[in-house]
Amino acid sequence: MVVDDEREIRRAGWRLIGNAVRPQKWWIAGGITAGIVWTAAKLTIPLLAAAAIDDGLHQGDIGHVIRLTCVMIAVGVVQGICTGLRRYSAFRIALRTETDLRQRLFAHLQRLHFAFHDHAQTGQLMARANTDIQQIETLVILMPLTAASLVTMIGVIVIMALEDPVLALLALGAMPFLNIAAARFSKRIAPVNMDLQQELADLSGVVEESLSGIRVVKGFGAERMQIEKLEAEADAVLDRALASARLRAGFMPLIDFLPTLSMVAILFYGGHQVLAGQLEIGSILAFNLYIFMLIWPLRMVGMLIAQASRASAGGGRVDQILKTDLLITDAPGAVAMPVGPGEIRFEGVRFGYGPGRAVLNGLDLTIRGGEAVALVGATGGGKSTIGRLLPRFYDIEGGALLIDGVDVRSIRIAELRSEIGIVFEDTFLFSDSVRENIAFANPEASFESVQRAARLSGAEEFVTKLPDGYDTIVGENGFSLSGGQRQRIAIARAVLADPRILILDDATSAVDPTKEHEIRAALGEVMEGRTTLIIAHRPATIALADRVVLIDDGRAIAQGTHDELLASSQRYREVLAQAEAAGPIALDAAP
Amino acid sequence: MRGGWVEPGPLDDEDKLNRDQARSVLRRLWTLLGPYRSAVYVASLVLVAQTACLLAGPWLVRYGVDAGLIDKNASALNRASIAYLIVALIGLVLGRIVIWMVSKTGEQFLRYLRARVFKHLIGLSMGFFEREKTGRLVARMTSDIDALQELISQGLVMFVQNILIFFGAIVVIFWMSWQLALAVLVIVPPVVFASRWFRRESNRAYLEVRESIGTNMATLQEGLEGVRVVQAFGREGGWTRRFRDTNEAQFEANLETVRISARYFPLVEFTGVVGIAVIVGAGGVMVNEAIISVGTVLAFVLYLNNIFEPIQQLSQLYNTVQSSGAALQKIFGLLDTEAAVGEKPGAVDLPAEGVLKIGAVSFAYGGGPPDTDGVVAPEGPIVLSGVSLEVLPGERLALVGPTGAGKSTLAKLMVRFYDPREGHVTFGGVDLRDATLASLRERIVVVPQEGFLFAGTVRENVRVGRVGATNAEIDAAIAALGLAQIFESFPDGLDTEVRERGSRLSAGEKQLVSLARAALADPALLVLDEATSNLDPGTERQVELALERLSEGRTVVVVAHRLSTAERCDRIAVVDGGRLVEIGTHDELIERRERYSRLFAAWDAGQERTA
Ligand SMILES: Nc1ncnc2c1ncn2[C@@H]1O[C@H](COP(=O)(O)OP(=O)(O)OP(=O)(O)O)[C@@H](O)[C@H]1O
Ligand SMILES: Nc1ncnc2c1ncn2[C@@H]1O[C@H](COP(=O)(O)OP(=O)(O)OP(=O)(O)O)[C@@H](O)[C@H]1O
Ligand SMILES: [Mg+2]
Ligand SMILES: [Mg+2]
Repeated sequence: MVVDDEREIRRAGWRLIGNAVRPQKWWIAGGITAGIVWTAAKLTIPLLAAAAIDDGLHQGDIGHVIRLTCVMIAVGVVQGICTGLRRYSAFRIALRTETDLRQRLFAHLQRLHFAFHDHAQTGQLMARANTDIQQIETLVILMPLTAASLVTMIGVIVIMALEDPVLALLALGAMPFLNIAAARFSKRIAPVNMDLQQELADLSGVVEESLSGIRVVKGFGAERMQIEKLEAEADAVLDRALASARLRAGFMPLIDFLPTLSMVAILFYGGHQVLAGQLEIGSILAFNLYIFMLIWPLRMVGMLIAQASRASAGGGRVDQILKTDLLITDAPGAVAMPVGPGEIRFEGVRFGYGPGRAVLNGLDLTIRGGEAVALVGATGGGKSTIGRLLPRFYDIEGGALLIDGVDVRSIRIAELRSEIGIVFEDTFLFSDSVRENIAFANPEASFESVQRAARLSGAEEFVTKLPDGYDTIVGENGFSLSGGQRQRIAIARAVLADPRILILDDATSAVDPTKEHEIRAALGEVMEGRTTLIIAHRPATIALADRVVLIDDGRAIAQGTHDELLASSQRYREVLAQAEAAGPIALDAAP
Repeated sequence: MRGGWVEPGPLDDEDKLNRDQARSVLRRLWTLLGPYRSAVYVASLVLVAQTACLLAGPWLVRYGVDAGLIDKNASALNRASIAYLIVALIGLVLGRIVIWMVSKTGEQFLRYLRARVFKHLIGLSMGFFEREKTGRLVARMTSDIDALQELISQGLVMFVQNILIFFGAIVVIFWMSWQLALAVLVIVPPVVFASRWFRRESNRAYLEVRESIGTNMATLQEGLEGVRVVQAFGREGGWTRRFRDTNEAQFEANLETVRISARYFPLVEFTGVVGIAVIVGAGGVMVNEAIISVGTVLAFVLYLNNIFEPIQQLSQLYNTVQSSGAALQKIFGLLDTEAAVGEKPGAVDLPAEGVLKIGAVSFAYGGGPPDTDGVVAPEGPIVLSGVSLEVLPGERLALVGPTGAGKSTLAKLMVRFYDPREGHVTFGGVDLRDATLASLRERIVVVPQEGFLFAGTVRENVRVGRVGATNAEIDAAIAALGLAQIFESFPDGLDTEVRERGSRLSAGEKQLVSLARAALADPALLVLDEATSNLDPGTERQVELALERLSEGRTVVVVAHRLSTAERCDRIAVVDGGRLVEIGTHDELIERRERYSRLFAAWDAGQERTA
């Protein structure tokens, strides 16, 4: 079962590689042709050298020696040109394949649903786009080079056998071991190196995490814990590195040793043949040169075998991502976004992020077009989840979710999302300028509209004070903004998108109370004519809404104005910690 | 690997070490190698012996040809063959020993270096981490040390051996026949020249490759990390195009290196053929004149390989060695960076309890000691000026004020993430600068504004609060905050994986985990920097009560935007524009009818409107 899976993955990997390489067929043909000419040129050199020594030296014909020398140089020119061509085409094919595959992978990842990304680790996906695709690249480089190598091998064997079959057998006897050793070595070192890469990645994970979370590490004095984690990783790296070194120590010296065995055989047996008058001295030289010539091709074939298995496994992993179906796609016959006021209806909506735990179970909620509704509820109650269902980041599992009476699953996604602006609770800014971040939804937006969005979200004041104003680079690698400042840029980003439906997910949690009423006034302007979902914990923000809905246990358990809910709902009072008003829960005496 | 396409690591100008730097890096390395030195000596000796074995081969061939074949002496031929075999076997054994010794020593040294660098790094002060980009620091621990690993596992033995072989072979061919050697050496200058051209050009091209890979990977990573925002705003197409640009740039940069080597390798192969031609041609003439023997011609052809390969390999390895040197220098630079906020000699433990006193503190970000590149950050604007404040044992103090006022900065000074420019911070009468860091971290704990969850289970994340806490203690802390209840409903309970950055949890749940850490740590002074901003007020209240109960009589400083939180504190300090503008109880400040009362009125108005 597992083996079958493995085999199936590899097969898929091969298909992927085959399809990716196919468009380059002209380059491949050219590369192989150059490789064959190159081989032919190379093979003649030892023959010429041997002829020069035997015909020339022994018979004292210096003129002949010089002629042969000139021919050698001419052949050298051909060899040189062809080696350039074959290398260029091999690498070009491989690089093209690599680039195309990575592009496809990225494009697909960009479209994969949220649930996929919830489970994927960025580091792992990066590894797919790097390590795995590079394995394929290496294989593709090797393929045309190996074709030339095979021709070289056959040529050498034929020439040597014609010259002296016994000597050929003796001289070549040790060489297959080089091939076998190379294949075995590559096969055995591949998993070790893969483990090593993995351990190195884990180690860099610990470093990256410790440094990104350095405030927490230092705040709690948890340095020792991280050091222990790192030392454990460093030990694992050492272990794998030594395992790899052991294999290398076993194999590498063989590369020098096995050809030497051939040379000894040539010297010994060939020498005795010369003494017996069966062979010329020049042939000894030629044989030696042929052995040199075989070292690389044999290793290359060994490497190719091992690389093939690595590349097909890597290709299989890439293919698995590429063939992950987009869960959230346009339905056949999807319709345009309805031109209505933007009424939102949840009817008995059920949803969970995974099996076994429902987050929403039977949510009923209607928001009229243009209305602003606040979602209030305890931590983890599912408020953000509600906001994520509207733009179809996830699809509901049961019930119905309608915008202006149309099921969201039948609306074209691009239109749906362009009409919904969302401010996430965890602000993500790109490493771009403030201006580009605000104009994210519409990079062509005029500077005036960027400024207007900044003004409405209360960002203008601090942005103009930044070192380069709107051109200041922010994000992970840019200027460090305070929490409140980041949030405001995210609000501006949603404002600029000019959506019909606006979702503010705890978008004012880091905004200070002095600014709050300013932003509130501005947001009032923004919300004008839009259906707005406000997820908030603060009464002041809740006050922006026309109506409040209390979310608890995955359902809307009460709705009304803030006042009405305070009066009528015990749970609402608990959530807003205003239980004192009604008295049933005794809290600490005021200080 | 011999011969293959060892990709030379690129170097930029700042990577290049001049002679003095190289010497000092080497000296430093030698000191650091202390316990591994004897292994280095032994390995060097073995390496020399192994190289001698390699070079002996063609010499024996020559002997076999001249004494055996030309002079028709079978026993000389046999002797030469057997000697060749023995030398090859010895070379095999020695080769294994060298590789194993160098790798083992090298890897152990790297293991030591990794731990040492990380320990040093993590002990540096906060100011350092604000200045240095995380990515660059991670690179010190990863790509820089990996460069050394590459050198040890692939390059070092080859580098030294190639040098030995090259010079060894030259000595031997001159010894055999200086005339033919001179003739052959005609081809060396073009190869050396071409190799230098190749090194220079490919170095330039690889720099471009490195740059383009960096950009491409950054785009890739950002596209993945921000994928939710990209989809929310329907920008998949735009980002895919953006990636295409960087991806194609990487292709172009790579192709340029291929173009360069497609020019270099033909020349090298051609020169190799010319070399053989010269040996056979010139050698032929000389044999004819009886200046040299036929065996010598053969040996020359074989040695040609030993001269040729090292030149090519060295030109490729050169960059690997150089970039390893540069990597070492950067690592040393990091090890030389001293913690600005370090422990003084003779530092004392902080008392178990006491008054936290902030005396006339002024502060600006930036400045401080130079970073690893020797760049001193420009001093930023004054963020705090003349702030004085006392927090009594057992008191709850709130810090409020507008965004950018300096609240978080003040909180950071309280836990000595930074030292003040002027003034002092003391706890129980001991200046924080005179305290041991261990006691400081134990007594004073901050839950920072940017909470951070590590990939791992909920339990593991809470353990950060007190390293070495037992599961029972962790569970107790979690239960005390009412978190157990929340996580019980999760499929794996407290063993639930929170995933990268805690993405499995809701915003409030993440904060609860951070707070559980604080509950577990149970310090004398707890600083909460907006640690409850994403919680619903009900849960927030419950957590506050729980923390209060847990740390009966402990001192707490909270930075809060929710004035309901501030209202419940014993005293409230208002920070604005880097100054402490007001301090007192809620009632006092309301009476004064100044900043706080205005703030509170604005806040209350919000409440009112809804109420
Ligand atoms: N990507 C996810 N995968 C699995 N479970 C999730 C995911 N995101 C949220 N959850 C879980 O679903 C529940 C609802 O989460 P949601 O983020 O909707 O809560 P919330 O009401 O917004 O809470 P908060 O006020 O803390 O932000 C939580 O228990 C949370 O742990
Ligand atoms: N690492 C830093 N480097 C340079 N300047 C900084 C850094 N951190 C903060 N600042 C600047 O110092 C000032 C005070 O920042 P601080 O984080 O203390 O504000 P705050 O009162 O906590 O604000 P908020 O309520 O938004 O959290 C701000 O102007 C900010 O831009
Ligand atoms: Mg939420
Ligand atoms: Mg702050």
